[in-house]
Amino acid sequence: MLPRITIDDAKCKVPLDCGKCLRVCPTQVLNLYCNAPPQKFREIDPSHYRVRGVHLLACSLCMECVKVCPEGAIQVAFGEGG
Amino acid sequence: MCDMCVDHGDGMQWHFNAANYARRLYKIRKESGEATGAEISGLAGFPQADEILELIEALDRGDMDAHESLLREYESKARREMLGQTLTIDEVLRAVEFMYPIARMTCMCRKITEALPDEENQTCIGFGPGLYKWERWPETYHGGIEFLHPDDARELLIELNKQGFAQIMFTMGTPYIGGLCSCQYPGCLAIRERLDYGIKGFWKGHDVARIDPNLCTGCGLCAPRCQFKAMSFDPSRGVAFIDPFRCFGCGLCVSVCESGAITLERREAIPTLANVW
Repeated sequence: MLPRITIDDAKCKVPLDCGKCLRVCPTQVLNLYCNAPPQKFREIDPSHYRVRGVHLLACSLCMECVKVCPEGAIQVAFGEGG
Repeated sequence: MCDMCVDHGDGMQWHFNAANYARRLYKIRKESGEATGAEISGLAGFPQADEILELIEALDRGDMDAHESLLREYESKARREMLGQTLTIDEVLRAVEFMYPIARMTCMCRKITEALPDEENQTCIGFGPGLYKWERWPETYHGGIEFLHPDDARELLIELNKQGFAQIMFTMGTPYIGGLCSCQYPGCLAIRERLDYGIKGFWKGHDVARIDPNLCTGCGLCAPRCQFKAMSFDPSRGVAFIDPFRCFGCGLCVSVCESGAITLERREAIPTLANVW
């Protein structure tokens, strides 16, 4: 069974400028991704970058990401319910 | 036998074949129009988060058929679009001869895995005619690019190698070679996807490291440099250990060995490893 990592995008606004969760994770489970395609002659606005749990098999449920997030935007759950 | 050399080497290693650096500047646009979106992003050749999650879910429910079929799909995409191979620093320095123009740019992997600011993350080398389009696609060349004289490129690559980055040469639309990455585990997507999930987005190099335990002094400098989980330290004998089946032949361990205990051997000369890429 895989852990479920939920990011509240309304709270996590510009993860590209913060990145605390990405760097605190001992196994680098979290990655950024971009929810807008690249455009000619324009950089993507940093607000289009979002955090996502990717390498879920490597998550040890240490909850360091939950603790480090200044916006309280991350939830990690495992098992039934929760 | 390295298939990339067979198909694109013209009798040489594929990254020493000048034709593979000679991508055309212009091409007839396809009916479907110019490449857009993810197709032109610097990471388009790697499986994206959705694809990795699909693979992880297959592994988690023990569906090995689905896992195998996803692996095959990702590998054939890599061979078509963006395939890499580990190079030693000697091979890297020789390959610089074929590159023009050359520029330093942001590592897209560590941008999304570590949110490193562009100014602390200039470890990638791009080259060839594709670079003339950098102003058109600022997102692919985030933070801008810095054109380098070949001598400066060599100096930078030697420094990155010294710091402990393994160099991987990538095609951008095989067989055209367009990028030389300086990689690590786990920050580099290609290494992580290969070691954690077996996705062959890049291949092992043409060499394999071998250690002579009689010459090894047990200083322990080499093992932590391995980015491929191929090395450890054997406390019972006080010497370093290299697993040749896991070795990618990058030579990072060789370059710090002061006693000359580690040497590189040609992969193709070792029957059991000749087809392990």
